Amino acid sequence: MNLKMAWRNVWRNKTRSLIIMISVAIGLFAGLFVLGLYEGMMSERVRTVIDTEVAHLQVHHPEFKKDYDPKFTIDENLLENELKKIPEIKAFSNRVLAQGMLATTTGTSGVQIIGIDLEDEKEVSRVDLKVKEGELLDPGKKNGILISKKLAGKMKLKVGSKLVLTFTDIENTVTSGAFRVTGIYQTINTPLDERIVYVNRATLMDDLGLRESSHEIAVILNKDEDLDLVKNGVQAQFPQYSVLTWKENSPETELLVGTINQYSSIIIGIIMIALAFGIINTMLMSVIERTREIGMLTALGMNRKKIFLLILTETLILTLVGVPIGFICSWFSILYFSKTGIDISSFSEEAMSSFGFGSMIYPEFPFATMDSVLLIVFITALISALFPSWKAIKLQPADALRQ
Amino acid sequence: MKTVIDAHNVSKTFNPDTIPILAVNNVHLHLERGEFTALVGPSGSGKTTLLNLLGGLDKPDKGSILINGKDITQLSPNALIDFRLHHIGFVFQSFNLIPVLTARENVELIMQLQHKKKEEIDERVLNLFREIGMEDKMDTRPAQLSGGQQQRVAVARALASKPQFVLADEPTANLDSKSATNLLDIMAKLNQEENITFIFSTHDARVIERARRVITLVDGQIHSDTARVPTDLPHEGEKPRN
Ligand SMILES: Nc1ncnc2c1ncn2[C@@H]1O[C@H](COP(=O)(O)OP(=O)(O)O)[C@@H](O)[C@H]1O
Ligand SMILES: [Mg+2]
Repeated sequence: MNLKMAWRNVWRNKTRSLIIMISVAIGLFAGLFVLGLYEGMMSERVRTVIDTEVAHLQVHHPEFKKDYDPKFTIDENLLENELKKIPEIKAFSNRVLAQGMLATTTGTSGVQIIGIDLEDEKEVSRVDLKVKEGELLDPGKKNGILISKKLAGKMKLKVGSKLVLTFTDIENTVTSGAFRVTGIYQTINTPLDERIVYVNRATLMDDLGLRESSHEIAVILNKDEDLDLVKNGVQAQFPQYSVLTWKENSPETELLVGTINQYSSIIIGIIMIALAFGIINTMLMSVIERTREIGMLTALGMNRKKIFLLILTETLILTLVGVPIGFICSWFSILYFSKTGIDISSFSEEAMSSFGFGSMIYPEFPFATMDSVLLIVFITALISALFPSWKAIKLQPADALRQ
Repeated sequence: MKTVIDAHNVSKTFNPDTIPILAVNNVHLHLERGEFTALVGPSGSGKTTLLNLLGGLDKPDKGSILINGKDITQLSPNALIDFRLHHIGFVFQSFNLIPVLTARENVELIMQLQHKKKEEIDERVLNLFREIGMEDKMDTRPAQLSGGQQQRVAVARALASKPQFVLADEPTANLDSKSATNLLDIMAKLNQEENITFIFSTHDARVIERARRVITLVDGQIHSDTARVPTDLPHEGEKPRN
C-alpha cells in the first residue's frame, strides 16, 4: 500500500515530477558521458604510452637512469634467453641510449639518442608507424638517423640532410659522428618528440664502445593485467637490475590519470549537488502542499516511521525513474561515439597534442566507475529525502488538520 | 453501561506566551458506550479543540482523559499514534480521504496499518460499504465522489478499525441538507443497530435534533448537558422540522 501510494503521489504533479526525472536523466547522462570521454582519453593515452613510448616494462642497470652514464649496461644475452621463456611476454627490444648534442650548420639541440634494432622496435614501439616522411632506418646504412618533425622544423632539417651527433662514450671520451636523415617521424606527443632521435643500435654501440650489452630492454606484454605479475617475476630473477613498469617510467601519465579521476569526481559531485537541490525542493513543496493530508494520516494512526518511509519512497521513485533513462541514453551515445570518435581538432589540437593526446576522442563506457556513480545517485536521493521526510514527521496532527 | 471516555478537569490554552486563548476550560465529560452525543456551540467555542483532546490529537495543559480506563495524556507520542489507530475513529469536516487512494483503499488502509489479514479486510470492507450504501462506488477515487459520499466513506473508514468510539468534527458542515440528513441517518443506524458510540460537533439544528445527548460549549466551558429523545427519521409525506 505504501509503495502504491508513493507511486501515485509522485504522479500527482506530473509536470513537476517529470522535470525532476528528466533532470536526473540528463544529469546522469552528462555525468556518464563526461566520464566516458575521460575514460576514452585516458585509456588511449595509456595505450599510446605503452605501445609507442615506454612499453609495459623496462629493464635497466639500477644506476643507469640516474644520469644516463653509458657504462651502466645490462647483459643482453642473459636477459634475452630468460625473457623468451615467459609466455606473458609478447615482444621485447634492446636499446642503447646516449645523451648528446645534435649540431647542424645552423645550430645545436640537446637530444636523447636511442639505438634500436628496427625489427624488434617495430613490435615494441611501432616505430614504423611513426615515420611520416622518408624511410625507416636501414641496418645496412650505418649513419642513418630518424628525427622528429618538430626537431626537423626547429633545426631546418629535411630528409637527406646531414648532421653531427656528439656524446661521451663509456670511457668518458667525447665522440662525435656524422649522420644523414633517412626519415622524419611524428607522434602525438610533441614535447617528447623534440628530444628523441633514433639510430641503428649497432652504430651507436660501436661509437660508445659497447659489446653484447645494452642499456634498456623494453618489454611488451600480451595483456595489461599481467603487468605486476611479470614485473615481480623478472625482478626476482634479476635482482641485480631494476625492472620498472610504465607507471614508474611515465609517472606523468599515472599522475594525469589520477588527476582526471579527481576531475571526474568533482564533476559528478557538482551534478549530484544540483540534482539534490532540485529533489529536495520538489519534495519539500510536495510535503508542504500535503500538510493536511499527512496530518490526517498521522491522526488516523499512521506512525512516523511509515510516514517517513512514504516520503522516502516517493523521493526514491522520483529520482530512480530517471536513472535507467539517463543510463540508456549515455550507453547508446557512448557506443555511437566510440565508433565514430569525436573530433576536437577544430578547437584544441595544439593544446591536446602538447599533453600527448590525439585530436580524436573515442569515449568508452565507464564500467569501472559506473557502480559508484549509481551508488552516488542512490545516496543523493536518500540524503535529499531526509529533510522533506523529517519535515513530514514533524507535523502535528492537530495543527496540520486545521489548515 | 461501560464508560468509554472519562475526562476530568481538562484545560487547553493556546499561545500561552503571547496572547493566551483559553480554548477549553476545566471540562469534565463522561461518555458511555452506545451514546449518540452532539457537541454544540458557536464558532470558536472550543468544539474542535475538545474533540482533538479527546481523540489524542492534542495534549491538554491540565487534566486527565481516560479512554477505556487508560489515561491518554500520559502516552508517549508514538504510543498515542498507535492508540488512535486501534481505539478511536475519526471523521473530519472535509477532505477526509486520501485523494490518490480509491474509496476502498482508503478504508483498507486503516486495517492494513493494524496488520489485519487480507480475508478479514476484504470481508469487513465489503460490509462497511453495504452499510453506507456505496458498494458500487468502492473503486472510485474521492475526486469522483460527491461531498456526501466522501463523508460516508469517511464514516466507513472510521469504523474499519473497530474503535471504542467515533469522533466527528462538524461532519455535515460542508454538505447540502439532503446529504447531511443521509449521513446522519447512516450514523444513527450504526449507533442503534451496532451500538457504535458517536460524539460529533455541529451547529446545525437539524443535526442536533438527531442526538440523544447534547453538550453545549460556551467559551470553552460546558454550559449545558442534556439528554433528549431524538427526533425520529422523517416519515414519508411529513416534512422534516426545522
Ligand atoms: N492552534 C491554535 N492556535 C491558537 N488559537 C487557536 C488554535 N486552535 C484554536 N484556537 C482558538 O481556540 C478557540 C477555540 O477554537 P475551536 O476549538 O476551533 O472552536 P470551534 O471548533 O468551536 O469553532 C478559538 O478562539 C480559536 O481561535
Ligand atoms: Mg471547529
